Amino acid sequence: MAPPAATAAPSVPPSLSLPPSQFARLQPHAYLLGHLSPPSASNQPSIRANGRAPSQFRVTSANAGSLTHTNGSAVVRIGDTAAVCGVRAELLHTEDIASWSVSQASGSNKRRRLADLGEKPTEEDEDEDPEEDRAHIEDLNLLVPNLSLSTGCAPGFIPGAAPSALAQSLSHQILSLLHSTRLVRADDLRVWYQPPNLGPEELERHNDEEQMDVDAEQSATAEEKPREIKAFWVLYIDIMIISLAGNPFDAAWAAVLAALRDTKLPKAWWDVDNETIVCSDSVADARKLSLRGLPVASSYGVFEADAAAGWRANVIPDAVEENAQAQKDKKGSPERWILADPDGYEEGLIQERACVVIDKEKDGKTTIVKMEKNGGWTVDTEDLRQLVEMSARRWDEMKRILEQC
Amino acid sequence: MSAPLILLPGDEVPSDHLPSNNSNPLKLGPGLRLLSQPSSKSTPATHVLTATQAGLVTTDAKRNTVSLLSFSNCRYIPTVNDLVIAQIHHSSVDYFHCMVTPHTAHALLGQLSFEGASKKTRPMLKQGELVYARVLSIGVGAGAEVELTCVNPATGKSDPGGLGPLIGGMVFDVSTGMAARLLRASSSSEQSDIIDGLAVLSELGKKLESLGGFELAVGRNGKVWVDCSNAGDSAIKATIAIGRCLQTTDEKSLNPADQKKLVTRILREMNLAS
Amino acid sequence: MTGPTASLSHLSRADGSASFKCPTTGYNVLGSVNAPIELPARRDALKPEEATVEVFVKPGNTTAGVGERYVEGILRTMLQKVILGRERGFPRRGVVITLAILGGDAVERGDSYLTLLPALLQTSLLTLLSAGVPMSMTFSTALLAVTKSGDIISDPSPVDAKTASSLHVLAFSPKGHLLLNESQGRFDFDTWESVRERAYSSCRGAVITGSDGDIAMGEEGEDSRAEDFIRETVEDHLHRDYAWKIDSA
Repeated sequence: MAPPAATAAPSVPPSLSLPPSQFARLQPHAYLLGHLSPPSASNQPSIRANGRAPSQFRVTSANAGSLTHTNGSAVVRIGDTAAVCGVRAELLHTEDIASWSVSQASGSNKRRRLADLGEKPTEEDEDEDPEEDRAHIEDLNLLVPNLSLSTGCAPGFIPGAAPSALAQSLSHQILSLLHSTRLVRADDLRVWYQPPNLGPEELERHNDEEQMDVDAEQSATAEEKPREIKAFWVLYIDIMIISLAGNPFDAAWAAVLAALRDTKLPKAWWDVDNETIVCSDSVADARKLSLRGLPVASSYGVFEADAAAGWRANVIPDAVEENAQAQKDKKGSPERWILADPDGYEEGLIQERACVVIDKEKDGKTTIVKMEKNGGWTVDTEDLRQLVEMSARRWDEMKRILEQC
Repeated sequence: MSAPLILLPGDEVPSDHLPSNNSNPLKLGPGLRLLSQPSSKSTPATHVLTATQAGLVTTDAKRNTVSLLSFSNCRYIPTVNDLVIAQIHHSSVDYFHCMVTPHTAHALLGQLSFEGASKKTRPMLKQGELVYARVLSIGVGAGAEVELTCVNPATGKSDPGGLGPLIGGMVFDVSTGMAARLLRASSSSEQSDIIDGLAVLSELGKKLESLGGFELAVGRNGKVWVDCSNAGDSAIKATIAIGRCLQTTDEKSLNPADQKKLVTRILREMNLAS
Repeated sequence: MTGPTASLSHLSRADGSASFKCPTTGYNVLGSVNAPIELPARRDALKPEEATVEVFVKPGNTTAGVGERYVEGILRTMLQKVILGRERGFPRRGVVITLAILGGDAVERGDSYLTLLPALLQTSLLTLLSAGVPMSMTFSTALLAVTKSGDIISDPSPVDAKTASSLHVLAFSPKGHLLLNESQGRFDFDTWESVRERAYSSCRGAVITGSDGDIAMGEEGEDSRAEDFIRETVEDHLHRDYAWKIDSA
């Protein structure tokens, strides 16, 4: 082990010694292990090769609104991993949606019922018809994230290569998380039109397809016509990892979150005379998205003390026995370390990973939005509980960073 | 014998299933591995046998071996001394490069590894020709090359007899499990009609004797070469009939009685019944 | 409730194959594996001492997209851990698993792949067993959903899964280790713990018996355990394959 060797023999330089950087390349596992398990006599704390404590995340910085040609953008840097995210909004006319008139018929009925009950959806209201919210965002694909790992972000990313499996799977994870957290409200993406209360002839001219509706309405009351959705905003969320040094998901998700928080949609309305959507130039008219919560992702890796643990021909102890055993020799040197936010060097030495996405409600209650673990059998309930607690602390930190940017 | 014991990967072989003959060291067949229980303060280091594949535990008390018979359609993995039927892919200066299983690296067969071969008399095998060969070595370490031979390097003879180029005839694919059974059946010294539950070979032998019999070479890699060149006009028919009998027996895992019925039916269909 | 059905080794060209059908979720997956084979195009990606595991997921009605890449990644990490890639004949070779989704609701873009994951995991385990690929252990999987009212239901139908507040996929080793956990939705840790407990009992039975006394236990359990399902499928097939040997003994 390099560091102990260096401290043990300061007077007589060993004839065959390697500088730490070379040792780190030749024996990466032993190098990291040497850092994590310092000799008990030295009384040093367990520390990673990159100088962090096992549960410490890398220095994170975020900067929003750096790209001027987007509706919202952010750069998030976690250590040497940097992700840029730009959100571009485009209009999708409902008349361009093939199945719109069919699906809308049922949707508008529901909406009217809601209005009758006086449950006017407010911004705070979580349950503004979640089914319709989901249907609009997911079925119409209003959120389109795409992640690319740019050329040269890490060695091995050559120009002109097809999107790697990693990039594709990260894109899916982000989209899936956007859907399952319901981060973006469908109502923010709708462009409404309130038809004025005109005579029937006038109305017929404007919306022939609703003629039936109009007749029914007419006979019943002379109330105001239900407003209708004329278009949707589609958010194209492009994420580029410009530097990859481990843990791309946390950085990419944080960038998406920061960019969406920064996103401003221009005021748009239906222009009856031109039969088109018109947007306002004025920045003052633009409004921000009101996101649901602030889910923060934190990833972990498990570093095993035994480099060959995965394939040594040893009996794997029964899980229950193992737990009992672990309780007994808690004082001994640990056989594995859970490393928060592994960097590129550590990721190469890690097989088992875990990822926890957490949100906190206003009352400080922790909600898990997504929890994954794969690639090994050492992490179980107790460890996951600790990871959730660790992620909750990370949430506070990230909230502060994201609110400052 | 007790009820058949079927294990899944990771299951331990219960010690009462191991042969109790202690004069020889226990030999492990494929599909099993020895795991050590690291010694802790309370218990000394022990060893357990666990399965790495799903299969049926078989023991041989005489030779003190225990092995696991897995599914019969597994891919063949070369083992030293196995007999295989290889197809020449191309030849280089010193070697023929042969295909033993699809999608794997070519096995090497020395140009001079034939009975009585010298620089002048070596067989000139072309692409696609077949050889019956023995696995000489499988190399050490990852990605090592498999070497084949058609001659016993100690004696210079093709040992066992019949190794070398296979001329004429036809190759049929069977499962590797079936190939192993056929090899046991054809090399067994028992004078019984049914060996390892296989009656098809002896039945075919009886039925086709009038046509001049047939030659058969079985490769562990799941290939069976059949030649009936003595049968004259019906040689091709007979070859195909044998192939069909073997393949159907394999696919449908027929029992000996059904195998006999199958042989009779196929030979009648092909107008070969004598 | 009818349990899942599976059959083994019905494709003759592949080294191992299996099909798996789950009536409650409606998924029907056909899998094949070829191993060990050369992967000439992937020379640089191969690890020198181990087998490389490749997984391909083919949806029934479209071409594979980003969702499939993601689930392939999960399967690869999981299977790499249980396959003994250092056994003879395997280092530097590939274990190529192809899973075709034949039936069940299509997974739309951006939808969660969790409902399909257990079926894919079970099928890939069965194909690997059928191909005789050496493995250190088997595993069993469970799919659970927590409804809005807080009830836990196992093997939710696609409709239940859509409306559930959270979805969980867990995989356990025969020795009780948690091999995989994929949870999505909104839940807290206590909910997850009871989900884990429920999944554990559906995979392994509530009572923990000795490590090896499990073989004959399948008959007596009131509801079938996922672990036994794999074992029974394999036993059935091996009994058929070796009928000649078992009968003669």
